[in-house]
Amino acid sequence: MDRHSDRRNEFPPDAFEPVEPPSEAEPVSRRRFLTLAAASAALAATSACESPPADTIVPYTKKPTDVIPGVADYYASTYQEGQIPYGVLVKAREGRPIHIDGNDEHPFFNGKTSLRAQAEIIGLYNPDRLRQPVVEGRLATWKEAEARVTDALSKAAKGNESVLLLTPAVVSPTSRTVIAKLQKALPGLKHVAWEPALSLTDRAASRALYGHDRAPRYHLEKAKVVAALEADFLGTMENAVEAIAGFTRNRKPAKPSDAMSRLYCFESRMSVTGSKADVRVPMKPSGATHLAFAVARALHEEHGVPYPEGFAAEALDRFTLGGVSHRYGLDRATVASLVRDLAEARGDSLVLTGPSLPPEAHVAATLINTMLGAEGRTVETSFSADAPPLATPSEMAALTREVASGGYAAAIFWQTNPLYALPDAKAFREALARVPLSVSLVLSENETARACKVVLPVNHWLESWNDYEASTDLLSLQQPLIRPLYDTRQAEEILLAWAGALGAPVDGRVGGAAAGEADYRTYLMARWQREVYPAGTLATFEQFWTSAVHDGVLHREVKRRRSRRLDVHAVAGAAGKAGGKHEAVARAAEKSAYGGAPGAGVELLLEPDLRMWDGRYANIGWLQELPEPITKVSWGNYLSIAVDDAHERRLSDGDLVSVTVGTRSVTLPVLVQPGQATGTAFAALGHGREGSVSGGRGTNVFPLVADDGMPPFLHLEASLSRASGNQPLVRSQTEFSTHGRDIAPVWSLADYAKNAKPPKPDRSLPTLNPNVKWGDHKWGMAIDLSACLGCGGCQIACQSENNIPVVGPEQVARGRIMHWIRSDVYYAGPTDNPQVAHALMLCQQCDDAPCEPVCPVGATVHSKDGLNEQVYNRCVGVRYCSANCPYIVRRFNFFDYTSTITDPLDLAFNPEVTVRPRGVMEKCTFCVQRIRNGVQVAKDEDRPLRDGEIRPACAVACPAEAIVFGDLKDPNSRVSQLSRSNRGYKVLQDLGTRPAVTYMTELKNPPETPGKKRHV
Amino acid sequence: MSKTTEPPLSPAHTRKRSPRDGRSVSSSEDLPEALRVEPLVAGDATLGKLDDDIRYLSEAKPPRSWYVSLVVTSLMALMGFTAIGYMVSTGIGTMGNDIPVVWGFLIINFVFWVGIGHAGTLISVILLLFRQKWRNAISRTAEAVTVFAFVCAMMFPAVHIGRPWMPHWLFPYPNERHLWINFRSPLIWDVLAVFTYFSVSVMFWYLGLIPDFATMRSRVKNKVKGAVFRILSLGWVGNARQWIHYEKAYLLLAGLTTTLALSVHSIVSTDFASSMVPGWHMTIFPPYFVVGAAFSGFAGVVLVFAFIRTPLNLKSYITERHMDLLNKTVLFLSCLMAYAYLMEGFTAWFSANTFVRYIFANYVFGDQWWAGTLTIFFNCILPQLLWVPRFRRSVPIMVLVSGGVTLGMWLERYTIIILSLHRDYLPSSWGVYLPTPIDFAILFGSVGIFLTLLLLFLRKMPIIAGWEVKSDIARYNPPPSQPVGGLEAEHA
Repeated sequence: MDRHSDRRNEFPPDAFEPVEPPSEAEPVSRRRFLTLAAASAALAATSACESPPADTIVPYTKKPTDVIPGVADYYASTYQEGQIPYGVLVKAREGRPIHIDGNDEHPFFNGKTSLRAQAEIIGLYNPDRLRQPVVEGRLATWKEAEARVTDALSKAAKGNESVLLLTPAVVSPTSRTVIAKLQKALPGLKHVAWEPALSLTDRAASRALYGHDRAPRYHLEKAKVVAALEADFLGTMENAVEAIAGFTRNRKPAKPSDAMSRLYCFESRMSVTGSKADVRVPMKPSGATHLAFAVARALHEEHGVPYPEGFAAEALDRFTLGGVSHRYGLDRATVASLVRDLAEARGDSLVLTGPSLPPEAHVAATLINTMLGAEGRTVETSFSADAPPLATPSEMAALTREVASGGYAAAIFWQTNPLYALPDAKAFREALARVPLSVSLVLSENETARACKVVLPVNHWLESWNDYEASTDLLSLQQPLIRPLYDTRQAEEILLAWAGALGAPVDGRVGGAAAGEADYRTYLMARWQREVYPAGTLATFEQFWTSAVHDGVLHREVKRRRSRRLDVHAVAGAAGKAGGKHEAVARAAEKSAYGGAPGAGVELLLEPDLRMWDGRYANIGWLQELPEPITKVSWGNYLSIAVDDAHERRLSDGDLVSVTVGTRSVTLPVLVQPGQATGTAFAALGHGREGSVSGGRGTNVFPLVADDGMPPFLHLEASLSRASGNQPLVRSQTEFSTHGRDIAPVWSLADYAKNAKPPKPDRSLPTLNPNVKWGDHKWGMAIDLSACLGCGGCQIACQSENNIPVVGPEQVARGRIMHWIRSDVYYAGPTDNPQVAHALMLCQQCDDAPCEPVCPVGATVHSKDGLNEQVYNRCVGVRYCSANCPYIVRRFNFFDYTSTITDPLDLAFNPEVTVRPRGVMEKCTFCVQRIRNGVQVAKDEDRPLRDGEIRPACAVACPAEAIVFGDLKDPNSRVSQLSRSNRGYKVLQDLGTRPAVTYMTELKNPPETPGKKRHV
Repeated sequence: MSKTTEPPLSPAHTRKRSPRDGRSVSSSEDLPEALRVEPLVAGDATLGKLDDDIRYLSEAKPPRSWYVSLVVTSLMALMGFTAIGYMVSTGIGTMGNDIPVVWGFLIINFVFWVGIGHAGTLISVILLLFRQKWRNAISRTAEAVTVFAFVCAMMFPAVHIGRPWMPHWLFPYPNERHLWINFRSPLIWDVLAVFTYFSVSVMFWYLGLIPDFATMRSRVKNKVKGAVFRILSLGWVGNARQWIHYEKAYLLLAGLTTTLALSVHSIVSTDFASSMVPGWHMTIFPPYFVVGAAFSGFAGVVLVFAFIRTPLNLKSYITERHMDLLNKTVLFLSCLMAYAYLMEGFTAWFSANTFVRYIFANYVFGDQWWAGTLTIFFNCILPQLLWVPRFRRSVPIMVLVSGGVTLGMWLERYTIIILSLHRDYLPSSWGVYLPTPIDFAILFGSVGIFLTLLLLFLRKMPIIAGWEVKSDIARYNPPPSQPVGGLEAEHA
């Protein structure tokens, strides 16, 4: 993908004036000139922030020389979610951002990004976005709203009253200075940063062990052995993108003797990570801490791995492998093999503990990593930035009490939604009623904004400037892709304006400016010039800035930190606490007989949803409709319980149950999940938001988050009771058995050695069809199922690229989901711990495509370069092609699905792809628009096409690099090589359809001497 | 209908002609019982009385019950048209169609009505070629059933497509866009076969109607009606020259129609057989579909006659013997169906193909086991009642059996289409078909359309081929003064 930052955005009339002419003192090379021209364009584009929005858009009468209609531009930017600033590359067409990928110059993400970041295109064009301020429930002007707030703030400043500012994690150093500035002008300001989707138990452990809050970077690509304790690091944990990329690098052997990592997974629910585990052990989350300490002890006792200096070995005396295995029903040999593998890997290993586990579990995992020397290898903190301080649920509960006790003059909610995401939202609502002024800075109205007196619409991040501290040596820049669609302002600007109104000195033009005239870009640049721009650099600041904005990242020379030393006394303390605590739990467990009579307790695990995160994406239809990778549930959440528990309690899918923890109770439908550990239950956070898209779907389980201590996302004593009624789950797949069909094979490495042989030749079946002479190219795809985890990133990318409509829960339930690419899940083996196979399925672009001869009007035909083409204009919708497609990859427009797309959602459409009308068939095209474009570019430049130059949206997005696309006519292309792979196969090959997609058999790497129980 | 109202088995007339050879036979008392032939007309039917009985229907004011029935069926038809209108304006999604079950009730209904539409041809044409005289009295109505069933059937492919405003794109016609249809697609064969069959059926039906229109023209008093019948009868005067040409044309067209009757459902079956869907991809499909079509067609004709014989006072012309023969055919075809099902199942098992075996087991043991099971019950088991001679002449039994067969044949298409599609190769994509009220409204609407057309036909058109039955009357009830022979001799 070429990056042309020398294309302009959608401009105000004055944008074409050069803003910063190049310094004439310096000789300007052509290259430099272009860079500067680009910079001025970028600056000009964004200087729109100052001027009021133009009333009309006039088409070009004189075309700017560097805007080519129909040619996409790519801009680097940054998207923050939780504590992670994702470097992204945004594709824009004629000034409209239409597609988001990872920034390929970002060293963490290497061109990959999270599926939620990709879906943010819909966040930008969401019709629900507020278009102007709201005061006391009615539309108001900025002046009115600002006056209301600044009056109150001035009064508070004078009266030295408290003002609450609730924000998400502030990862931006410049935003931090903005808050600091406001703090200075308003001494009573109490800034609380809060991320409801983060449990912060790992932080508590880090503070105890090291006295600081630095989040390590995990290098899974270096790990030969990974043990995940209730840690869904490939799914719902923060920064799964980097983890997937690292982990899958060691999962694609080309021959049986190649190295492959081994993943042990001990977990209660069936997670994405568990589905890829080589050894998956279902166990109750309460056992994880014990297990981790027992593994540490066994490493020391049995394999002679030394404890950290000064550690009192007897602290772990009570944690024996035998005892732990017995208590939690684990297979002794499996645990022993984990210990052996860890000992052998010596540092090329990583033990990960999930956010739901108590801090003691994280301490134990850190102990193991430190003992093995993984610290500094797979766990790296040398450049970790200090994590932003965040409030835990119990601190939030304390804050609620504090607000309720009075004394707050105002409460400001900056893109936070406590009335949805606080466990005790009711108490907070009552407390908020006592605050004279409540202000919400939001994109679109949410539960909290509705309760606020002043609601100020803020810019979407695609309309904003900012910087982020990815690590101490890496800054990541955010630049706007489009002028604000509505009369909105960036939140930082609003705060700066308040600070200015309160009399704080503010840099540049902001200082003393009237409210609403603050310019955050100037402020940001001023700070960069002052603090980031290295003294003595040859480049001018403008050159430096332009280059940083262009790349989206800035590497800085900082000193590498020495490896940290853990506090051995804290470890011993945690072990003591864990031991005591778990003894008590175990005793309680015996008493209440887990999994016994209905009403008895279960261990309840909560985790943010892979798609909804903390609920902020609830109104993004793409994400609501994306089926969850394992359960294939779309539109809503569920309580997943074990098969035998369901049997015992006579519950089946969709039955409503009440989950009660303490005094709080939530009712949601049951999902009977194979692989869920007996006596445990799981529910995902982030559902049940109010809103035009999410309304009525899913259940908010934030009330079940513990706000009286650690860990917040785990309950050892939750009770389930049957509620009346049934709420059918909306699933895109309902059958999970292969019925013995050889469609998604899974091999162990030993099987691989035995079975490895190249796939059958294409012409293995007799055919009457002539052997087609392909043109210059023959497109093909190779999908490595060993790497694919079914996360759905490709599905969102495809949806964005190909204008795929969202059809809604009723249509999904009727089997009319429109995804062109889907990830099938098959279970095999025992229901208590099945083996999961993911099978990515998309149009196979068969050479002898069964869909083609049956179309009466010739609307689906074969191209010279091997594509199975669908001609929407010609299609009359007899649907015979779909009936005859053995892969069921064709999708039909049963209704006019695009009619629900309201202004301005249509701006998200990719203009290169036809929007399909009602009554026509559609399907994957291998992103034919990208193919044609790539071929044309190569032709224009008079050169042969490079391998990998053309990549469909799914391949670009796949964080596991499981999808490889290319030209099968070129025997040296990557796809050709992979298609000849000795673990390659074609789905339903014996039907003679001759697909162009080769799958690589999923591999598992179980230990060679497994225990009694083979998990693979 | 009780036995006693029927004329006695051996009529008073002493001289008869065997229907087969036309030669005189002695009175029934002279023959052993097994050799006695039941006459094809009953009672005191004479040539004049036939005209009076048949033409009366279109000349007299229909009874109130006819109007009531017509209102009911028209309302049903209206409901169907409304549902179709809603579906066309809103989308295929208003019906139960989904991925993977992309074909639903509309295709089932199409195949179902095409099947019903086979009765006319088979009765009229094939029995004509086989010189089965008992066809004469029933052929006209059977042909009408064919035409009306095809009117219903042909509606479905047009409205089932995703963009129903473009059905003409399925026809090969020169156009400025240089677009041509794909002749490899079975759907094109289907369109061509159905249209050919429909047009030939209409022609055949009309040709048979010409002498009867002429009779009506001669009898009618109303001037407007007279003008209409004059046009419709195409100047028929009934002279020998016209009869010679007419009979030749009729026979030739019958020969042509016969091949079409066999081909049309064979080709409809290729919609399925030439695909690669397990359960569809079977070589037995063409003959199996033709047999199935004939089966449902005969059952449909039995149902129609069972209901119209008494109210229209046709018992003299459509005798118990006719019903007996029709029911015998139904029984024979039922046995053929059973054989076809057995062979299909055997082929599925013998193929050793996982997918095909699964689908066939799924027909009778799967989540919708009732569809396959009821199909077998209604089509193969229930008709076995007809081995009992008494049952073949019992109206309740024949209505039960033929109604069952009609329902069973609809279910058979449901089984074939829905149950094959809903669980094919990749289990991940298995789904269900959940019919909506629109599905049922269109199904019952098509029944309404059919019945409305049939009711209009019964009262406005000659429902019995007068000129053919007259030859039977001439044979069985010769007027004393008139020599026998006539047409019979020409046929021979």
